[in-house]
Amino acid sequence: MATQSPPVKEMTSRQRVLAALRREPVDRTPVCNPTSVATVELMDLADAPFPGANRDARAMARLAATSYTELGFDSVMPVFSIVQESSALGCNMQWEQKDNWPTVRMSQPIWKDLDDIRIPNDFLSHPDMVCVLDAIRLLRKELGDEVAIIGKTMGPWTLGYHCFGVEPFLLMSLDDPGKTMACLERMKEATVQFGVAQIDAGVDALTVPDHATGDLVSGEYYKRFLMDLHAEFVDTIPVPLILHICGRTVDRMDYIAETGMAAFHFDSKNAPSESMEIVSDRISLVGNINNPETLFAKNPEDVRAEVFANLEAGVPLIGPECAIPLQTRIENLTEIPKAVRDWHGQQGHAH
Amino acid sequence: MAELSDIANEFIRQEIKEFLERPEEIARNIELFARIRPAMQDIAAALIEGEDGDVDQLTKQALEEGIDALEIMDDGLIAGMGIVGIKFREALIFVPEVLACARAMKAGMNYIEPILSDSGVEPVAKVLMGTVKGDLHDIGKNLCIMMLRGSGFEVVDLGVDTSEDEFIDAIEEHRAGILGMSALLTTTMPNMAKTIEALIDADVRDDVMIMVGGAPVTQEFADDMGADGYGKDALSCVSLAKKLAGEKV
Repeated sequence: MATQSPPVKEMTSRQRVLAALRREPVDRTPVCNPTSVATVELMDLADAPFPGANRDARAMARLAATSYTELGFDSVMPVFSIVQESSALGCNMQWEQKDNWPTVRMSQPIWKDLDDIRIPNDFLSHPDMVCVLDAIRLLRKELGDEVAIIGKTMGPWTLGYHCFGVEPFLLMSLDDPGKTMACLERMKEATVQFGVAQIDAGVDALTVPDHATGDLVSGEYYKRFLMDLHAEFVDTIPVPLILHICGRTVDRMDYIAETGMAAFHFDSKNAPSESMEIVSDRISLVGNINNPETLFAKNPEDVRAEVFANLEAGVPLIGPECAIPLQTRIENLTEIPKAVRDWHGQQGHAH
Repeated sequence: MAELSDIANEFIRQEIKEFLERPEEIARNIELFARIRPAMQDIAAALIEGEDGDVDQLTKQALEEGIDALEIMDDGLIAGMGIVGIKFREALIFVPEVLACARAMKAGMNYIEPILSDSGVEPVAKVLMGTVKGDLHDIGKNLCIMMLRGSGFEVVDLGVDTSEDEFIDAIEEHRAGILGMSALLTTTMPNMAKTIEALIDADVRDDVMIMVGGAPVTQEFADDMGADGYGKDALSCVSLAKKLAGEKV
């Protein structure tokens, strides 16, 4: 856990993020969004609009870099969406336009049963995977060791939604838990392969979104189906892992904290103080500035208040709760690092 | 005033005793299930357990015995779904369990719907339902639609990824009194407000009462965007639609 003394000498953004992920002392709390901070304004600034920025490595790297160069965050995240692997697995895609996120047409599932699951031999050679790997290399070359580069590899539960359809997958989990576990075992290969490839390309850490959210399934579901798998990822993917699950998750944070993941990216539906109390010093929390009401619809002073609330609660990495709405104003995003610096200034010492 | 012991079905008695906490809901459900005949209680119990095969068989059997389709829907399927809705609201069950119950309800409605549509019963109101542009999630919307249909509403399902123009066209085409919009993602929630703005620009906003919902949506967000109501779940969607139908149909 971070300590107040002795003072920590000034760190680079990368050092700051990695130290916080290791729960070591930092010079100040890092600002980080392990999902995405891409916005329409940033797309214009970087001349890297969606949908191209999700499929072209140079555009992807340019847009990702704005997180550091324009917003002053301590990390960059080139994978803006959650669909790259699903595209490579053969899902029907909707790449959308500049002002909308690409999505998987989950009403047109590609798999119905365990034996349908196939991770193609050329999975990593698919253009939508190569795009991410090339973007990571470009970012490392461009930004060097100044800033933390975080990659993203989807967990098997989310891949299940995409490839089986949300409704059939959830019904299968109830009707045949054993088969569901077997499906997750097969799909996890995609998670590991893409994660390791991104490490080879140069990421410092990886986000693992796996949407076993409290809006859909219980905490006991997380324990039954995913806790051990997530712990296994910690052993097989050798960089700090940041689990991301949206929605209310306090009923599963205790289990999440036991997986060995470096961090958990948590949603604003969970109070920072309550969440910190549950996880204690077992895992770093990242979050949890509200997206739709605060970052999207309110003003910098409201953002500042939420940043302060998280800092007061001891949240070790501050950032938006999830991928932000694309129409979010830049001034609300730049307020996050500004508020973090001001808070530390008011405290009069390093954290 | 009915007592818990007046309910014939032991499973229903246990559900009320174990899972219901609000006094008014306990009283209402005891009154309801004590009034309805045991065969309907059996259908409700099978639905709550998510046993679609049993609901199918029991519904068919009830119809063969001459029980009215409307009674089977109200006293069996909807009464059961009412308990399911409460358990979901209280986070005692989650979406997989609700989906299983919805599947069971559908098994019963497969027999009931054709009979009701042939009988010419007037719907409570006509409702348009769609997930907003850029969002392909529809579980919540589909649960709402099922509950609305089960509660006597005529529902036009606009599907997922519904554009502003598609909402406007549907309002003009179907002359519905209520429009329901859903979004699951914080990234697509703003498209609800954009849709309402587009309805204003197209001069059709006042033709419908607008209700919104979806996991990240809140009352505050609904108020800010100018919706007429917010429903937290499928159960409150039905209550809200009934309220809005009373205001304007």
